[in-house]
Amino acid sequence: MVLPEERAEIEAFLFKEARLADESQYSEWEGLVADDMHYWVPSFEGQDRESEQVSILNDNRTRLATRIRQLNTGVRHAQLPPSRMRRVISNIEIKALENDEYVVGSNVVIYEYRRQAKDELEVWPARVEHMLRRVNGEIKMFSKSIFLLGSEGPVRGLSFLI
Amino acid sequence: MTEHSSEAEGFDYNDLISNERVHSTLYTDERVFEDEMDRIYRKGWVFVCHDSEVPNAGDFVRRNIGREPVFAIRSRDGEISVIVNRCAHRGNIICQEDKGTARALVCQYHGWAYDTKGALVDVPYPGGFKGDFSCHGLQRLAKVDAYQGFVFATFNEDAPPLLEHLGRATELIDRAVEMSPVGRIRLSGGWVKHQFNCNWKMLPENDTDGYHVNFVHPSFAQAIRSNYDDAVLHDEETLKSQSKDWGGGHTELFFSPTYSKPLEWFGCSEDRHSSYQEAMIKAYGKKKGAGILVDGPPHAVIFPNLFLGEMNIVRFEPVASGVCLHTHTPMYLEGVDDDVNKRILRQSEGALGPSAFLLADDCVIAERAQAALTGEGGWLDLSRGAEREEVDDRGVITSHVTDETPNRGFWRRYKEVMAPS
Repeated sequence: MVLPEERAEIEAFLFKEARLADESQYSEWEGLVADDMHYWVPSFEGQDRESEQVSILNDNRTRLATRIRQLNTGVRHAQLPPSRMRRVISNIEIKALENDEYVVGSNVVIYEYRRQAKDELEVWPARVEHMLRRVNGEIKMFSKSIFLLGSEGPVRGLSFLI
Repeated sequence: MTEHSSEAEGFDYNDLISNERVHSTLYTDERVFEDEMDRIYRKGWVFVCHDSEVPNAGDFVRRNIGREPVFAIRSRDGEISVIVNRCAHRGNIICQEDKGTARALVCQYHGWAYDTKGALVDVPYPGGFKGDFSCHGLQRLAKVDAYQGFVFATFNEDAPPLLEHLGRATELIDRAVEMSPVGRIRLSGGWVKHQFNCNWKMLPENDTDGYHVNFVHPSFAQAIRSNYDDAVLHDEETLKSQSKDWGGGHTELFFSPTYSKPLEWFGCSEDRHSSYQEAMIKAYGKKKGAGILVDGPPHAVIFPNLFLGEMNIVRFEPVASGVCLHTHTPMYLEGVDDDVNKRILRQSEGALGPSAFLLADDCVIAERAQAALTGEGGWLDLSRGAEREEVDDRGVITSHVTDETPNRGFWRRYKEVMAPS
Protein backbone atom coordinates (compact mmCIF):
# COMPACT_ATOMS: atom_id res chain seq x y z
CA MET A 1 0.00 0.00 0.00
CA VAL A 2 1.48 3.32 -1.08
CA LEU A 3 0.11 6.37 0.70
CA PRO A 4 -0.73 9.52 -1.30
CA GLU A 5 2.10 11.44 0.38
CA GLU A 6 4.58 8.65 -0.45
CA ARG A 7 3.41 8.77 -4.05
CA ALA A 8 3.83 12.54 -4.19
CA GLU A 9 7.33 12.25 -2.78
CA ILE A 10 8.34 9.56 -5.24
CA GLU A 11 6.89 11.44 -8.20
CA ALA A 12 8.77 14.54 -7.12
CA PHE A 13 11.95 12.46 -7.08
CA LEU A 14 11.32 11.16 -10.61
CA PHE A 15 10.63 14.63 -11.94
CA LYS A 16 13.75 16.05 -10.32
CA GLU A 17 15.86 13.19 -11.60
CA ALA A 18 14.44 13.76 -15.09
CA ARG A 19 15.11 17.49 -14.98
CA LEU A 20 18.73 17.08 -13.86
CA ALA A 21 19.33 14.51 -16.61
CA ASP A 22 17.56 16.68 -19.20
CA GLU A 23 19.73 19.65 -18.27
CA SER A 24 22.99 17.66 -18.13
CA GLN A 25 23.62 18.57 -14.51
CA TYR A 26 25.77 15.51 -14.08
CA SER A 27 27.06 15.90 -10.53
CA GLU A 28 23.69 17.03 -9.18
CA TRP A 29 22.14 13.95 -10.82
CA GLU A 30 24.83 11.77 -9.23
CA GLY A 31 23.72 13.20 -5.88
CA LEU A 32 20.49 11.21 -6.26
CA VAL A 33 22.36 7.93 -6.53
CA ALA A 34 22.94 5.41 -3.72
CA ASP A 35 26.29 3.69 -3.10
CA ASP A 36 25.05 0.40 -4.55
CA MET A 37 23.60 1.97 -7.70
CA HIS A 38 23.17 -0.10 -10.85
CA TYR A 39 22.44 1.71 -14.11
CA TRP A 40 21.39 -0.43 -17.05
CA VAL A 41 20.25 -0.23 -20.68
CA PRO A 42 19.74 -3.78 -22.04
CA SER A 43 20.29 -4.61 -25.71
CA PHE A 44 17.17 -6.70 -26.20
CA GLU A 45 13.79 -7.35 -24.67
CA GLY A 46 13.76 -9.91 -21.87
CA GLN A 47 17.51 -9.71 -21.23
CA ASP A 48 18.77 -11.10 -17.92
CA ARG A 49 21.12 -8.55 -16.36
CA GLU A 50 23.36 -11.25 -14.91
CA SER A 51 23.70 -13.22 -18.17
CA GLU A 52 26.64 -13.18 -20.57
CA GLN A 53 24.62 -11.11 -23.05
CA VAL A 54 26.17 -7.74 -23.87
CA SER A 55 24.26 -4.62 -22.80
CA ILE A 56 24.21 -1.15 -24.33
CA LEU A 57 25.10 0.26 -20.92
CA ASN A 58 25.72 -1.67 -17.71
CA ASP A 59 27.27 0.46 -14.96
CA ASN A 60 27.92 -0.45 -11.38
CA ARG A 61 28.54 2.45 -9.01
CA THR A 62 32.25 2.66 -9.85
CA ARG A 63 31.71 2.75 -13.58
CA LEU A 64 28.89 5.25 -13.22
CA ALA A 65 31.27 7.51 -11.30
CA THR A 66 33.73 7.20 -14.20
CA ARG A 67 30.93 8.07 -16.63
CA ILE A 68 30.08 11.21 -14.66
CA ARG A 69 33.77 12.14 -14.45
CA GLN A 70 34.07 11.73 -18.21
CA LEU A 71 31.04 13.93 -18.88
CA ASN A 72 32.39 16.50 -16.44
CA THR A 73 35.74 16.80 -18.24
CA GLY A 74 34.09 19.11 -20.76
CA VAL A 75 35.90 17.34 -23.61
CA ARG A 76 33.50 14.45 -24.13
CA HIS A 77 32.89 15.09 -27.85
CA ALA A 78 29.75 12.97 -27.89
CA GLN A 79 28.17 15.58 -25.60
CA LEU A 80 29.78 18.70 -27.03
CA PRO A 81 27.59 20.63 -26.85
CA PRO A 82 25.37 18.70 -24.42
CA SER A 83 22.17 17.41 -25.97
CA ARG A 84 19.16 19.58 -25.17
CA MET A 85 16.46 17.32 -23.81
CA ARG A 86 12.97 17.17 -22.37
CA ARG A 87 11.55 13.91 -21.13
CA VAL A 88 7.94 13.21 -20.38
CA ILE A 89 7.11 10.67 -17.66
CA SER A 90 3.78 8.96 -17.26
CA ASN A 91 1.97 5.76 -16.21
CA ILE A 92 3.83 5.75 -12.92
CA GLU A 93 3.25 2.58 -10.91
CA ILE A 94 4.75 2.24 -7.46
CA LYS A 95 5.17 -0.90 -5.45
CA ALA A 96 6.38 -0.72 -1.87
CA LEU A 97 8.96 -3.30 -0.87
CA GLU A 98 10.29 -3.96 2.62
CA ASN A 99 12.75 -1.70 4.43
CA ASP A 100 11.45 1.56 2.97
CA GLU A 101 12.27 0.49 -0.58
CA TYR A 102 10.17 0.96 -3.70
CA VAL A 103 10.14 -0.30 -7.24
CA VAL A 104 8.72 2.30 -9.61
CA GLY A 105 7.76 1.66 -13.21
CA SER A 106 7.08 4.45 -15.68
CA ASN A 107 6.75 5.17 -19.36
CA VAL A 108 9.18 7.79 -20.60
CA VAL A 109 9.66 9.60 -23.89
CA ILE A 110 12.84 11.61 -24.26
CA TYR A 111 13.05 14.27 -26.92
CA GLU A 112 16.70 14.92 -27.64
CA TYR A 113 17.87 17.82 -29.77
CA ARG A 114 21.42 16.89 -30.68
CA ARG A 115 23.85 19.36 -32.11
CA GLN A 116 27.18 17.51 -31.85
CA ALA A 117 27.44 16.79 -35.59
CA LYS A 118 24.25 17.80 -37.35
CA ASP A 119 21.17 19.42 -35.81
CA GLU A 120 18.70 16.59 -35.31
CA LEU A 121 15.75 15.75 -33.10
CA GLU A 122 15.93 12.20 -31.77
CA VAL A 123 13.10 10.50 -29.86
CA TRP A 124 13.75 7.78 -27.28
CA PRO A 125 10.64 5.97 -25.99
CA ALA A 126 11.29 3.61 -23.09
CA ARG A 127 9.91 1.77 -20.10
CA VAL A 128 11.91 2.74 -17.03
CA GLU A 129 12.21 0.95 -13.72
CA HIS A 130 13.63 2.78 -10.71
CA MET A 131 14.53 1.08 -7.43
CA LEU A 132 14.38 3.64 -4.64
CA ARG A 133 15.04 3.74 -0.93
CA ARG A 134 15.04 6.29 1.81
CA VAL A 135 18.53 7.11 3.05
CA ASN A 136 18.63 9.40 6.10
CA GLY A 137 15.17 10.62 5.22
CA GLU A 138 16.04 11.37 1.59
CA ILE A 139 15.05 9.28 -1.38
CA LYS A 140 17.92 7.85 -3.45
CA MET A 141 17.91 5.47 -6.40
CA PHE A 142 19.90 2.26 -6.18
CA SER A 143 18.87 0.96 -9.59
CA LYS A 144 17.68 2.48 -12.83
CA SER A 145 16.93 0.27 -15.81
CA ILE A 146 15.94 1.80 -19.14
CA PHE A 147 14.19 -0.60 -21.49
CA LEU A 148 14.42 1.20 -24.84
CA LEU A 149 11.59 0.41 -27.22
CA GLY A 150 14.26 0.13 -29.93
CA SER A 151 16.89 -1.70 -27.87
CA GLU A 152 17.72 -4.22 -30.60
CA GLY A 153 18.75 -1.28 -32.74
CA PRO A 154 20.22 0.15 -34.76
CA VAL A 155 20.87 2.56 -31.89
CA ARG A 156 22.37 6.00 -32.40
CA GLY A 157 24.82 7.62 -30.00
CA LEU A 158 23.46 7.62 -26.47
CA SER A 159 26.03 9.45 -24.42
CA PHE A 160 23.76 11.63 -22.26
CA LEU A 161 22.31 10.52 -18.94
CA ILE A 162 19.26 8.54 -19.91
CA MET B 1 34.58 15.94 -60.55
CA THR B 2 37.29 14.74 -62.94
CA GLU B 3 37.56 15.13 -66.68
CA HIS B 4 37.53 11.41 -67.37
CA SER B 5 34.64 10.30 -65.23
CA SER B 6 31.16 10.59 -66.58
CA GLU B 7 28.00 9.03 -65.29
CA ALA B 8 27.74 6.73 -68.30
CA GLU B 9 31.24 5.33 -67.90
CA GLY B 10 31.22 5.32 -64.12
CA PHE B 11 34.04 6.53 -61.95
CA ASP B 12 37.68 5.99 -62.70
CA TYR B 13 38.84 5.26 -59.19
CA ASN B 14 42.45 5.82 -60.19
CA ASP B 15 41.56 9.51 -60.35
CA LEU B 16 40.13 9.54 -56.85
CA ILE B 17 42.79 7.58 -54.94
CA SER B 18 46.53 7.98 -54.77
CA ASN B 19 48.93 6.72 -52.14
CA GLU B 20 48.84 10.14 -50.46
CA ARG B 21 45.26 11.26 -50.71
CA VAL B 22 41.68 10.25 -51.47
CA HIS B 23 38.77 12.33 -52.71
CA SER B 24 35.70 12.92 -50.55
CA THR B 25 33.41 11.73 -53.37
CA LEU B 26 34.31 8.24 -52.18
CA TYR B 27 32.44 8.90 -48.94
CA THR B 28 29.41 10.73 -50.26
CA ASP B 29 28.40 9.57 -53.72
CA GLU B 30 25.68 6.94 -53.95
CA ARG B 31 27.14 5.71 -57.25
CA VAL B 32 30.38 4.90 -55.48
CA PHE B 33 28.34 3.05 -52.88
CA GLU B 34 26.63 1.05 -55.66
CA ASP B 35 30.02 0.09 -57.10
CA GLU B 36 31.22 -0.96 -53.64
CA MET B 37 28.18 -3.14 -53.06
CA ASP B 38 29.03 -4.97 -56.28
CA ARG B 39 32.83 -5.03 -56.36
CA ILE B 40 33.59 -5.38 -52.65
CA TYR B 41 30.48 -6.95 -51.11
CA ARG B 42 29.32 -9.27 -53.93
CA LYS B 43 32.52 -10.13 -55.77
CA GLY B 44 34.81 -10.26 -52.77
CA TRP B 45 34.99 -12.24 -49.55
CA VAL B 46 32.97 -10.83 -46.65
CA PHE B 47 32.93 -11.90 -43.00
CA VAL B 48 29.51 -13.33 -42.10
CA CYS B 49 29.59 -14.98 -38.68
CA HIS B 50 31.61 -17.21 -36.39
CA ASP B 51 30.79 -20.92 -36.31
CA SER B 52 30.22 -20.71 -32.55
CA GLU B 53 27.10 -18.64 -33.30
CA VAL B 54 25.51 -21.67 -34.96
CA PRO B 55 26.86 -24.57 -32.88
CA ASN B 56 24.14 -27.16 -33.59
CA ALA B 57 22.27 -28.52 -36.59
CA GLY B 58 19.53 -26.13 -37.65
CA ASP B 59 21.02 -23.12 -35.84
CA PHE B 60 20.90 -19.95 -37.93
CA VAL B 61 21.74 -16.24 -37.72
CA ARG B 62 20.50 -13.46 -39.98
CA ARG B 63 22.99 -11.07 -41.53
CA ASN B 64 23.37 -8.58 -44.36
CA ILE B 65 26.13 -8.87 -46.91
CA GLY B 66 26.21 -5.36 -48.24
CA ARG B 67 22.52 -4.79 -48.79
CA GLU B 68 21.69 -8.43 -49.45
CA PRO B 69 19.75 -10.10 -46.63
CA VAL B 70 21.21 -13.54 -45.94
CA PHE B 71 21.29 -16.11 -43.20
CA ALA B 72 23.94 -18.59 -42.17
CA ILE B 73 22.64 -22.00 -41.14
CA ARG B 74 24.24 -25.24 -40.03
CA SER B 75 23.03 -28.53 -41.49
CA ARG B 76 23.04 -31.96 -39.88
CA ASP B 77 26.28 -32.83 -41.67
CA GLY B 78 27.91 -29.84 -39.95
CA GLU B 79 28.20 -27.71 -43.07
CA ILE B 80 27.39 -24.01 -42.70
CA SER B 81 25.56 -22.57 -45.70
CA VAL B 82 25.07 -18.87 -46.36
CA ILE B 83 21.77 -18.39 -48.15
CA VAL B 84 19.98 -15.34 -49.55
CA ASN B 85 17.00 -14.66 -47.30
CA ARG B 86 14.42 -14.58 -50.06
CA CYS B 87 11.86 -17.17 -51.07
CA ALA B 88 12.39 -18.62 -54.55
CA HIS B 89 8.65 -18.32 -55.17
CA ARG B 90 7.53 -14.72 -54.65
CA GLY B 91 10.55 -13.26 -52.92
CA ASN B 92 9.37 -13.03 -49.32
CA ILE B 93 11.71 -13.08 -46.32
CA ILE B 94 12.19 -16.73 -45.38
CA CYS B 95 14.03 -16.41 -42.11
CA GLN B 96 12.22 -13.88 -39.92
CA GLU B 97 14.02 -14.23 -36.57
CA ASP B 98 17.47 -12.71 -35.96
CA LYS B 99 18.68 -16.09 -34.74
CA GLY B 100 17.23 -19.43 -33.80
CA THR B 101 16.99 -23.08 -34.69
CA ALA B 102 14.97 -24.58 -37.51
CA ARG B 103 14.56 -28.05 -38.99
CA ALA B 104 13.14 -26.55 -42.16
CA LEU B 105 12.53 -23.04 -43.45
CA VAL B 106 8.95 -22.35 -44.37
CA CYS B 107 7.89 -19.22 -46.20
CA GLN B 108 5.07 -17.52 -44.37
CA TYR B 109 3.51 -16.21 -47.57
CA HIS B 110 2.56 -19.45 -49.41
CA GLY B 111 4.22 -22.14 -47.32
CA TRP B 112 7.05 -23.22 -49.59
CA ALA B 113 9.44 -25.25 -47.44
CA TYR B 114 13.20 -25.59 -47.75
CA ASP B 115 15.77 -27.74 -45.99
CA THR B 116 18.76 -26.31 -44.14
CA LYS B 117 20.81 -26.23 -47.35
CA GLY B 118 18.15 -24.23 -49.15
CA ALA B 119 16.72 -27.06 -51.30
CA LEU B 120 12.97 -26.90 -51.94
CA VAL B 121 11.31 -29.85 -50.19
CA ASP B 122 7.59 -29.05 -50.14
CA VAL B 123 5.08 -26.93 -52.01
CA PRO B 124 1.52 -26.72 -50.61
CA TYR B 125 -1.32 -27.59 -53.03
CA PRO B 126 1.14 -29.46 -55.27
CA GLY B 127 -1.47 -30.10 -57.95
CA GLY B 128 -0.83 -26.66 -59.42
CA PHE B 129 2.94 -26.80 -59.22
CA LYS B 130 4.41 -27.96 -62.50
CA GLY B 131 7.98 -26.85 -61.80
CA ASP B 132 11.01 -28.88 -60.94
CA PHE B 133 11.87 -28.85 -57.24
CA SER B 134 15.59 -28.83 -58.03
CA CYS B 135 15.24 -25.56 -59.95
CA HIS B 136 13.49 -23.72 -57.13
CA GLY B 137 15.98 -23.83 -54.29
CA LEU B 138 17.02 -20.77 -52.31
CA GLN B 139 20.04 -18.88 -53.61
CA ARG B 140 23.16 -20.16 -51.86
CA LEU B 141 26.24 -17.99 -51.84
CA ALA B 142 28.71 -19.31 -54.38
CA LYS B 143 31.53 -19.80 -51.91
CA VAL B 144 31.55 -20.22 -48.15
CA ASP B 145 34.71 -20.98 -46.23
CA ALA B 146 35.99 -20.58 -42.70
CA TYR B 147 39.28 -19.85 -41.00
CA GLN B 148 39.60 -20.55 -37.27
CA GLY B 149 35.80 -20.61 -37.13
CA PHE B 150 35.40 -17.20 -38.81
CA VAL B 151 32.94 -17.80 -41.65
CA PHE B 152 33.34 -15.78 -44.84
CA ALA B 153 31.26 -15.90 -48.00
CA THR B 154 31.05 -14.41 -51.47
CA PHE B 155 28.55 -14.33 -54.33
CA ASN B 156 31.45 -14.72 -56.76
CA GLU B 157 32.11 -18.22 -58.09
CA ASP B 158 35.42 -17.03 -59.47
CA ALA B 159 36.66 -15.47 -56.24
CA PRO B 160 40.14 -16.65 -55.24
CA PRO B 161 40.34 -19.06 -52.28
CA LEU B 162 39.64 -17.51 -48.87
CA LEU B 163 43.23 -18.09 -47.79
CA GLU B 164 44.41 -15.97 -50.70
CA HIS B 165 42.05 -13.17 -49.64
CA LEU B 166 43.28 -13.35 -46.05
CA GLY B 167 46.95 -13.62 -47.04
CA ARG B 168 49.24 -12.83 -44.14
CA ALA B 169 46.25 -11.73 -42.06
CA THR B 170 45.66 -15.35 -41.02
CA GLU B 171 48.33 -14.55 -38.44
CA LEU B 172 46.09 -11.82 -36.98
CA ILE B 173 43.18 -14.25 -36.66
CA ASP B 174 45.51 -16.85 -35.15
CA ARG B 175 46.61 -14.31 -32.55
CA ALA B 176 42.98 -13.60 -31.66
CA VAL B 177 41.99 -17.23 -31.12
CA GLU B 178 45.24 -18.00 -29.31
CA MET B 179 44.09 -15.76 -26.49
CA SER B 180 42.20 -18.93 -25.52
CA PRO B 181 44.18 -21.82 -24.05
CA VAL B 182 42.22 -24.19 -26.29
CA GLY B 183 42.50 -21.93 -29.35
CA ARG B 184 38.76 -21.35 -29.55
CA ILE B 185 36.65 -18.25 -29.19
CA ARG B 186 32.88 -18.11 -28.69
CA LEU B 187 30.59 -15.37 -29.98
CA SER B 188 27.60 -16.06 -27.75
CA GLY B 189 27.16 -12.63 -26.16
CA GLY B 190 24.78 -11.11 -28.72
CA TRP B 191 25.43 -8.10 -30.94
CA VAL B 192 24.85 -4.39 -30.31
CA LYS B 193 24.13 -2.43 -33.50
CA HIS B 194 25.54 1.06 -33.19
CA GLN B 195 24.45 3.38 -36.01
CA PHE B 196 26.94 5.89 -37.38
CA ASN B 197 25.60 8.47 -39.84
CA CYS B 198 28.78 8.37 -41.85
CA ASN B 199 30.26 6.39 -44.69
CA TRP B 200 31.18 2.80 -43.74
CA LYS B 201 34.83 3.23 -44.75
CA MET B 202 35.35 5.62 -41.87
CA LEU B 203 34.95 2.61 -39.56
CA PRO B 204 37.92 0.51 -40.77
CA GLU B 205 39.89 3.73 -41.19
CA ASN B 206 39.24 4.98 -37.67
CA ASP B 207 39.54 1.65 -35.91
CA THR B 208 43.16 1.38 -37.03
CA ASP B 209 44.01 5.08 -36.78
CA GLY B 210 46.45 5.61 -33.93
CA TYR B 211 46.71 9.35 -34.47
CA HIS B 212 43.28 10.46 -33.23
CA VAL B 213 43.30 8.99 -29.75
CA ASN B 214 44.70 12.00 -27.90
CA PHE B 215 42.24 14.31 -29.58
CA VAL B 216 39.04 12.30 -29.74
CA HIS B 217 39.40 10.54 -26.40
CA PRO B 218 40.87 13.06 -23.94
CA SER B 219 37.76 12.75 -21.75
CA PHE B 220 38.38 9.02 -21.42
CA ALA B 221 42.06 9.55 -20.65
CA GLN B 222 41.20 12.12 -17.98
CA ALA B 223 38.42 10.07 -16.40
CA ILE B 224 40.17 6.73 -16.02
CA ARG B 225 43.61 5.15 -16.08
CA SER B 226 43.87 2.43 -18.70
CA ASN B 227 46.30 0.39 -20.76
CA TYR B 228 45.77 2.92 -23.57
CA ASP B 229 47.67 5.57 -21.59
CA ASP B 230 50.96 3.93 -22.50
CA ALA B 231 49.84 2.36 -25.78
CA VAL B 232 48.50 5.38 -27.67
CA LEU B 233 48.33 8.46 -25.46
CA HIS B 234 51.98 9.39 -24.83
CA ASP B 235 54.00 11.92 -26.78
CA GLU B 236 55.43 11.01 -30.15
CA GLU B 237 58.91 10.05 -28.91
CA THR B 238 57.70 7.85 -26.04
CA LEU B 239 55.09 5.79 -27.91
CA LYS B 240 56.26 2.25 -28.63
CA SER B 241 53.12 0.95 -30.34
CA GLN B 242 53.21 0.57 -34.10
CA SER B 243 50.88 0.78 -37.06
CA LYS B 244 50.97 -2.01 -39.60
CA ASP B 245 49.81 -2.74 -43.12
CA TRP B 246 49.65 -6.49 -43.56
CA GLY B 247 48.73 -6.26 -47.26
CA GLY B 248 45.40 -7.05 -48.84
CA GLY B 249 43.76 -4.15 -46.99
CA HIS B 250 44.33 -5.87 -43.63
CA THR B 251 45.70 -3.38 -41.11
CA GLU B 252 46.67 -3.19 -37.46
CA LEU B 253 47.52 -1.00 -34.52
CA PHE B 254 50.16 -3.12 -32.80
CA PHE B 255 50.12 -2.26 -29.10
CA SER B 256 52.21 -5.20 -27.86
CA PRO B 257 55.60 -3.40 -27.81
CA THR B 258 54.11 -1.17 -25.09
CA TYR B 259 53.36 -4.00 -22.72
CA SER B 260 55.98 -5.50 -20.41
CA LYS B 261 53.87 -7.41 -17.89
CA PRO B 262 51.26 -10.17 -18.26
CA LEU B 263 47.67 -8.92 -18.58
CA GLU B 264 48.60 -5.25 -18.90
CA TRP B 265 46.46 -5.25 -22.07
CA PHE B 266 43.60 -6.61 -19.92
CA GLY B 267 43.86 -3.63 -17.58
CA CYS B 268 44.75 -5.67 -14.55
CA SER B 269 47.77 -6.62 -12.47
CA GLU B 270 49.83 -9.64 -13.31
CA ASP B 271 48.72 -11.64 -10.29
CA ARG B 272 45.10 -11.74 -11.48
CA HIS B 273 43.37 -14.59 -13.31
CA SER B 274 46.09 -17.07 -12.31
CA SER B 275 44.24 -20.15 -13.56
CA TYR B 276 43.92 -18.52 -17.01
CA GLN B 277 47.63 -17.74 -17.03
CA GLU B 278 48.53 -21.26 -15.96
CA ALA B 279 46.29 -22.74 -18.65
CA MET B 280 47.96 -20.57 -21.30
CA ILE B 281 51.46 -21.69 -20.25
CA LYS B 282 50.34 -25.29 -20.19
CA ALA B 283 48.71 -25.04 -23.61
CA TYR B 284 51.36 -23.08 -25.52
CA GLY B 285 54.52 -23.73 -23.51
CA LYS B 286 56.40 -21.32 -21.31
CA LYS B 287 57.85 -19.11 -24.03
CA LYS B 288 54.88 -18.71 -26.36
CA GLY B 289 52.24 -18.80 -23.61
CA ALA B 290 53.99 -16.14 -21.54
CA GLY B 291 54.52 -14.11 -24.70
CA ILE B 292 50.81 -14.12 -25.53
CA LEU B 293 49.94 -13.10 -21.97
CA VAL B 294 52.20 -10.05 -22.28
CA ASP B 295 51.43 -9.15 -25.92
CA GLY B 296 47.65 -9.36 -25.72
CA PRO B 297 45.14 -9.63 -28.57
CA PRO B 298 45.32 -8.01 -32.01
CA HIS B 299 43.67 -4.68 -32.80
CA ALA B 300 43.24 -5.24 -36.51
CA VAL B 301 40.90 -4.87 -39.46
CA ILE B 302 40.37 -7.70 -41.93
CA PHE B 303 39.25 -6.17 -45.23
CA PRO B 304 36.53 -5.18 -45.74
CA ASN B 305 34.18 -5.66 -42.79
CA LEU B 306 35.75 -7.48 -39.84
CA PHE B 307 37.46 -5.80 -36.89
CA LEU B 308 39.38 -7.91 -34.39
CA GLY B 309 38.95 -5.26 -31.71
CA GLU B 310 41.12 -6.75 -29.00
CA MET B 311 38.61 -8.77 -26.94
CA ASN B 312 35.70 -7.78 -29.22
CA ILE B 313 34.58 -8.80 -32.65
CA VAL B 314 33.06 -6.06 -34.80
CA ARG B 315 31.21 -6.16 -38.12
CA PHE B 316 31.09 -3.06 -40.30
CA GLU B 317 27.74 -2.89 -42.04
CA PRO B 318 27.23 -0.41 -44.89
CA VAL B 319 23.63 0.83 -45.18
CA ALA B 320 23.88 3.79 -47.59
CA SER B 321 26.69 6.15 -48.53
CA GLY B 322 26.09 8.18 -45.36
CA VAL B 323 24.88 5.48 -42.95
CA CYS B 324 26.55 2.39 -41.50
CA LEU B 325 26.53 0.19 -38.43
CA HIS B 326 29.39 -0.67 -36.09
CA THR B 327 28.07 -3.96 -34.69
CA HIS B 328 29.97 -5.61 -31.85
CA THR B 329 30.03 -8.62 -29.57
CA PRO B 330 32.46 -9.64 -26.83
CA MET B 331 35.05 -12.20 -27.91
CA TYR B 332 34.61 -14.88 -25.26
CA LEU B 333 37.34 -17.43 -24.74
CA GLU B 334 36.76 -21.16 -24.48
CA GLY B 335 38.66 -23.06 -21.82
CA VAL B 336 38.80 -20.25 -19.24
CA ASP B 337 37.04 -19.47 -15.96
CA ASP B 338 33.89 -17.36 -16.05
CA ASP B 339 35.62 -14.42 -14.39
CA VAL B 340 37.82 -13.92 -17.48
CA ASN B 341 34.81 -13.80 -19.79
CA LYS B 342 32.93 -11.59 -17.33
CA ARG B 343 35.78 -9.10 -17.50
CA ILE B 344 35.73 -9.27 -21.31
CA LEU B 345 32.00 -8.52 -21.24
CA ARG B 346 32.33 -5.50 -18.94
CA GLN B 347 35.23 -4.12 -21.00
CA SER B 348 33.23 -4.58 -24.17
CA GLU B 349 30.39 -2.52 -22.74
CA GLY B 350 32.85 0.12 -21.60
CA ALA B 351 34.63 0.52 -24.93
CA LEU B 352 32.10 -0.14 -27.69
CA GLY B 353 28.54 0.84 -28.47
CA PRO B 354 26.29 3.91 -28.31
CA SER B 355 26.99 4.71 -24.63
CA ALA B 356 30.62 3.63 -24.47
CA PHE B 357 33.49 5.67 -23.13
CA LEU B 358 35.28 5.42 -26.49
CA LEU B 359 32.99 4.69 -29.46
CA ALA B 360 30.36 7.30 -28.63
CA ASP B 361 33.03 9.94 -29.27
CA ASP B 362 34.34 8.25 -32.43
CA CYS B 363 30.77 8.24 -33.73
CA VAL B 364 30.30 11.99 -33.33
CA ILE B 365 33.69 12.72 -34.89
CA ALA B 366 32.83 10.53 -37.88
CA GLU B 367 29.42 12.17 -38.27
CA ARG B 368 31.09 15.58 -38.22
CA ALA B 369 33.45 14.43 -40.97
CA GLN B 370 30.53 13.19 -43.04
CA ALA B 371 28.79 16.54 -42.61
CA ALA B 372 31.95 18.38 -43.67
CA LEU B 373 32.34 16.26 -46.82
CA THR B 374 28.77 16.53 -47.99
CA GLY B 375 29.10 19.64 -50.16
CA GLU B 376 31.67 20.06 -52.89
CA GLY B 377 34.13 18.14 -50.75
CA GLY B 378 37.80 17.93 -51.47
CA TRP B 379 40.91 15.85 -50.90
CA LEU B 380 41.73 13.98 -47.68
CA ASP B 381 45.41 13.68 -46.85
CA LEU B 382 46.84 10.25 -46.01
CA SER B 383 50.53 10.94 -46.26
CA ARG B 384 51.56 11.00 -42.61
CA GLY B 385 54.67 8.95 -41.91
CA ALA B 386 55.10 7.54 -45.41
CA GLU B 387 58.82 8.31 -45.35
CA ARG B 388 59.53 6.47 -42.09
CA GLU B 389 57.84 3.15 -42.88
CA GLU B 390 59.81 -0.08 -42.77
CA VAL B 391 59.05 -3.24 -44.69
CA ASP B 392 59.97 -6.59 -43.16
CA ASP B 393 60.94 -9.82 -44.93
CA ARG B 394 57.31 -10.87 -45.24
CA GLY B 395 56.28 -7.57 -46.78
CA VAL B 396 54.47 -6.26 -43.72
CA ILE B 397 54.81 -2.46 -43.55
CA THR B 398 55.42 -1.05 -40.06
CA SER B 399 55.53 2.52 -38.88
CA HIS B 400 54.94 4.78 -35.88
CA VAL B 401 51.54 4.17 -34.29
CA THR B 402 50.39 7.66 -35.28
CA ASP B 403 51.25 7.17 -38.95
CA GLU B 404 48.64 6.67 -41.63
CA THR B 405 50.15 3.38 -42.75
CA PRO B 406 46.97 1.37 -42.03
CA ASN B 407 44.81 3.87 -43.93
CA ARG B 408 47.14 3.74 -46.91
CA GLY B 409 46.96 -0.06 -46.75
CA PHE B 410 43.17 -0.02 -46.69
CA TRP B 411 42.95 2.33 -49.66
CA ARG B 412 45.58 0.46 -51.66
CA ARG B 413 43.42 -2.65 -51.49
CA TYR B 414 40.25 -0.66 -52.09
CA LYS B 415 41.73 0.78 -55.27
CA GLU B 416 42.79 -2.66 -56.50
CA VAL B 417 39.25 -3.91 -56.06
CA MET B 418 37.42 -0.83 -57.32
CA ALA B 419 39.72 -0.02 -60.28
CA PRO B 420 41.03 -3.37 -61.45
CA SER B 421 43.79 -2.86 -63.97
